[in-house]
Amino acid sequence: MTTAARATIAPPSHDGPRPRGLTWTVLRLHRPALLVWTAYVLLLAGWLLWLRFVTLEQASTKLSGCPLSESDCTDAEAMMAFGDGVGTTGTLIAYLTYGVAAWAGASLGRELERGTAQLAWTQSVTPTRWLATGLAVPAVALTLGTTVLFLLYRAVWAPKHDMYGYQWYNPEPMVALGPLTVAYALCGLAVGALVGLALKRALPALAVAFGFMVLFHVYLDRNTRWLWPTERLTGFAATTVPDSAEHIDLGVITESGVRADDVLLNCFGAESEAAFSACMANHDLTGLYRDVHPPSHFWPLHLMATGVVLAVTALAAVTAFWLLRRRTATR
Amino acid sequence: MTGTALEAAALGKKFGRRKAGWALHDCTLRIPAGRVCGLVGPNGAGKSTLLAHAAGLLAPTEGSIRVLGTTPAAARERIAYVAQDKPLYPQLTVAETLRLGRELNPGHWDAAVAGRVVDEGGLDRDAKIRSLSGGQRTRVALALALGKRPELLLLDEPMADLDPLARHQLMGTLLADSAEHGTTVVMSSHVVAELEGSCDHLLLLGEGRVRLAGPLDELLAAHTLVTGPSSGDLAPHTVVESRTTGRQVTALIRPRGPVGAGWQTDEPTLEELVLAHLRAPQAPALTLMDDGADGGETDGAEVQEAAV
Repeated sequence: MTTAARATIAPPSHDGPRPRGLTWTVLRLHRPALLVWTAYVLLLAGWLLWLRFVTLEQASTKLSGCPLSESDCTDAEAMMAFGDGVGTTGTLIAYLTYGVAAWAGASLGRELERGTAQLAWTQSVTPTRWLATGLAVPAVALTLGTTVLFLLYRAVWAPKHDMYGYQWYNPEPMVALGPLTVAYALCGLAVGALVGLALKRALPALAVAFGFMVLFHVYLDRNTRWLWPTERLTGFAATTVPDSAEHIDLGVITESGVRADDVLLNCFGAESEAAFSACMANHDLTGLYRDVHPPSHFWPLHLMATGVVLAVTALAAVTAFWLLRRRTATR
Repeated sequence: MTGTALEAAALGKKFGRRKAGWALHDCTLRIPAGRVCGLVGPNGAGKSTLLAHAAGLLAPTEGSIRVLGTTPAAARERIAYVAQDKPLYPQLTVAETLRLGRELNPGHWDAAVAGRVVDEGGLDRDAKIRSLSGGQRTRVALALALGKRPELLLLDEPMADLDPLARHQLMGTLLADSAEHGTTVVMSSHVVAELEGSCDHLLLLGEGRVRLAGPLDELLAAHTLVTGPSSGDLAPHTVVESRTTGRQVTALIRPRGPVGAGWQTDEPTLEELVLAHLRAPQAPALTLMDDGADGGETDGAEVQEAAV
């Protein structure tokens, strides 16, 4: 009796936590894109785990079981495979923003081209809410996915990265080793949305959004080094910089105190500091300097770049909302 | 239901920076609530632009538009709009499209009405929108619009893709539904025959301005088709259009007082009225108001100079 009475009072329970309203709409409309993104993240994640726990183990086991000195004993083949894997996965993580921008531009451009955006706006949904939800849902998916990817990439990167020729300051690791990956993905989304709204056509929006992200990414990659002050090494220290430090500038100081960048640097082969000093004196050079970013500069540089990308993201998103509100009747 | 469904004051919309880019210019009109209003005019007259403004999809360049006593944005939940090309998401099924209507119109979605419109066309609910014909798509678009239970239904060329039978049947559904709920319908068309028998209000647009507006029967009554000798004088009547064939002249006039002897008079049909105005863009505009009970009349010819 009581159960029957309760059953009639209780609201239908199938309405639970499943997405509703605009969120349902966005998820349903972009289901293929969501599936592609999930597959991309899962495949890359699987690959990274394989690299970390299979390929790297293979290379390391051979190494430790070797009676000779370490350098003779590296399993070159396994190590190279590992290095290739790190390079390729890094590329697939660092450049995924191009794809995001192309998708966002095309999908928004297509909505306006076909008039389906207008269809949504004439339901009980304001254009502003439509865009906000349309950006928020993919933003959540992108943030989750890219966070998983950069954390896994860091796990793969950490051991022995100096053994396969990639350095933290190379374009791909610079992005893939931290939250810059997340920022770039969100930036691609915001830029794509803005371009799609502005051009109102799928194909041109795809091309322009993609092109912008390529240019912006390349430009920022080339200029990331200036986002944090370099460290100056002088004297002998300037001749013996490890690969893990990013070289920025190198020059000599002459007797008159002028820095001459082009002077042939004859003293680089010096075996000791004494030999170096003697050599410098022979050439009438009083000093040598080199500006570098030591590995400790990774985080300052990475976070500064992340800030720049997020600023562009915010600018693109704000402009997109402004454009939408200006074009449609919002009051 | 009384009041105003749609009201525009000096509404203007310019697309692009071209000087000739005015799609609507100095457009002033009023459509009373509860009417079925036909919106006619040649291609490029501004019909779609006017409807898009009423639906809140476009912001006016100048002037203002009010819908159901408020702004289009504030009336969003009470308006339904079907655009000319009947946009729908091609990847959704019919059932998912109706679900979309339910999800995006929480609290005022009438699944029964929407379902009925779809079922009357014998549509398979699991069929993807992209597999439907143009006419079937129109049916789904109309189902989405009617399911919203709007107070104002804006339809841009709604029947263009339908065969005569489907057109007749859908129009019947539409009119019955609007009569039952007192819905105001504004539908554009350049097929005048489509409007005959379904509209009780007419709005004729030309070059972005109102050419003719008012209750259909009063507009027809305000015009007379006259035939007489080509030497005849039609002053002081307003001549909308006249055509001479041989020694005979046929003219559509707005009579001022009794028409002189020697003229054969006829009441024009809707088609004749519209065609005469389309052929004579220089004819003065005419707006007949039906405010309140007195049916006050304003001859636009005297009040507002027509565009030349």
